[in-house]
Amino acid sequence: MAQTVTEKILSRVMGRPVEAGEIIYPEPDLVTVHDWYVVNFDKALKELGVERLYDATKVLVCTDHEPVAVSAAAAERQRRVREIVAEYDIEQFYDAGRGGHGHIFPMELGLIRPGMFVFAYDIHVTNYGAIGCLGVPLVTEISEVLACGSAWIRVPETVRVEISGQLAAGICVRDVAQRMIADLGADLVDYTTVEFGGDALADIDFGGRMTLCNTPIEIGAKSAIVETDAETEAWLDGRLDGPIEHVASDPDASFKKTVTYDLGILEPQVAAPPTPDNVVGVSEVAGRRIDYAFIGSCANGSLSDLRDAARVLNGRRIEPHVRFIVTPGTQEIASKAAAEGLLQTFIDAGAIVSAPGCGPCAGGRIGPMAPGEASINTGTRNDFGRLGASEAEIYLGSPMTVAASAVTGRITDPRELM
Amino acid sequence: MDWIYRGRAWVFGDNIGVDGDLMPLEFALTRETDPNVLKSHTMGGIDPEFAAKAAPRDIVVAGKRFAQGNPHIQGLLGLYGLGLGLVVESIPRGSFRNAINAGVPILPHCSGVTAEAETGDALEVDFENGIFRNVTRGTERRYEPLAEPLLETIAAGGWKAKVQQRVNAMKAGGAAGEHA
Repeated sequence: MAQTVTEKILSRVMGRPVEAGEIIYPEPDLVTVHDWYVVNFDKALKELGVERLYDATKVLVCTDHEPVAVSAAAAERQRRVREIVAEYDIEQFYDAGRGGHGHIFPMELGLIRPGMFVFAYDIHVTNYGAIGCLGVPLVTEISEVLACGSAWIRVPETVRVEISGQLAAGICVRDVAQRMIADLGADLVDYTTVEFGGDALADIDFGGRMTLCNTPIEIGAKSAIVETDAETEAWLDGRLDGPIEHVASDPDASFKKTVTYDLGILEPQVAAPPTPDNVVGVSEVAGRRIDYAFIGSCANGSLSDLRDAARVLNGRRIEPHVRFIVTPGTQEIASKAAAEGLLQTFIDAGAIVSAPGCGPCAGGRIGPMAPGEASINTGTRNDFGRLGASEAEIYLGSPMTVAASAVTGRITDPRELM
Repeated sequence: MDWIYRGRAWVFGDNIGVDGDLMPLEFALTRETDPNVLKSHTMGGIDPEFAAKAAPRDIVVAGKRFAQGNPHIQGLLGLYGLGLGLVVESIPRGSFRNAINAGVPILPHCSGVTAEAETGDALEVDFENGIFRNVTRGTERRYEPLAEPLLETIAAGGWKAKVQQRVNAMKAGGAAGEHA
């Protein structure tokens, strides 16, 4: 039977062939839980009378949403997380300063392999699709997985996206990714895996692949995944023991729809408030004053994103009325960005370099916006209140567009500075 | 569990919102999850008398995108508290999951079903086999029933009760399997 990548991975997990539409109870290869939910799952497990996890060796906990506690309550929560992790014998615990963003560093550390299946209490686990791992988010039911080993999902159908063409100067993968979710639409993508393949994929690096796998969740995708190729192998070289398993759909697999998407879009794209798929060309919003810029998040916290931003800054200083936060995704990215001199570029420009993790994008607990302010940033969402005040306006753009806008203090097409 | 519901139809149109129409938003914001608290507010945004009029094992028949919006579970828990069945033309996946987790018997893909009944009609709906009978009109339609594991969750009384069953079975030394 011809299968999609999603069907192949879930068939392997179930030990029998499964197909899209089936209800299954798969046991994941790994479960990830992030700092803010740990006290909640502990409470849920205690209510159920559960004292031991189904398999603590397959659970990873990380401190990424608020690595630097910004309140007494947050410090207390971090203390509780450390106690809870010890209580349940969770050895894969990456506390503040140890890993960084939980949707990125497990790939760097070789904890994620192509062909793996992961459940997580956080929607952007789909990032693992960048190296051919199927990440599926759950919410409340993560406590069922921790206690009993599995929870139900419907095997998703797949929307296949063939990437073609070439990125023009000044255009980033983020521009394409947010234009693409606006074009695909929520009706098509709802509860599907968005799977990326095609010849032009070879030109998109690890960071860009994370961006591609990150955005579809905003319009209701269940997961997203990139076929493995030579680029996957090159990036994983030295990170994994042994040969990697390549994952690809069978050519005659049954797709909900196959679309071809051209990288050659003509203009940088900006998502205007209040949703990530409210996407317009930058020229439509150019000139709007901004108070706040941010580069980072699971969508754009990679080394290539920091390089793109630094290239636009190129020794320039940002406007005095702007505050600009740069959050490298992980400890490794921060280290490499320091070695390459990228962090120096940001510091010289007047930016604040913050602790690796989600940065302000995690609900604006770190570095929030004030009422009446406007921001352009590379976060995942632009709902009112995402960065603190609900009376603040949030525009989403590429690292290049954000850097250019920080320099001018207004939403700016980065090609004007290049 | 008796999967055959015999009761009156309560028919609603498309796009019934989960917040406001189906349940006041305040209960989602306060994270109220007690069906006995929520039930008297069910459908309050459309018909404040609904909870008083509906009887256990009556059936809500609705159009497309029932319980659309931010997938809060409170409205579905309200339906569970009233003991109602649910037959809809379509339902967004977050609310579908919430209906199962709240323990509400549901037929989720019943194209055109709002034309098959009027409020007050006597219905007989077999949720296990997907059979929809309008006794008043003397008509019968067949729709896709839920998969077995989802029926089991509903029979257990919803997600919490199902997980407690799994946990208890594991503690008793049984398998941790999905059907435990």
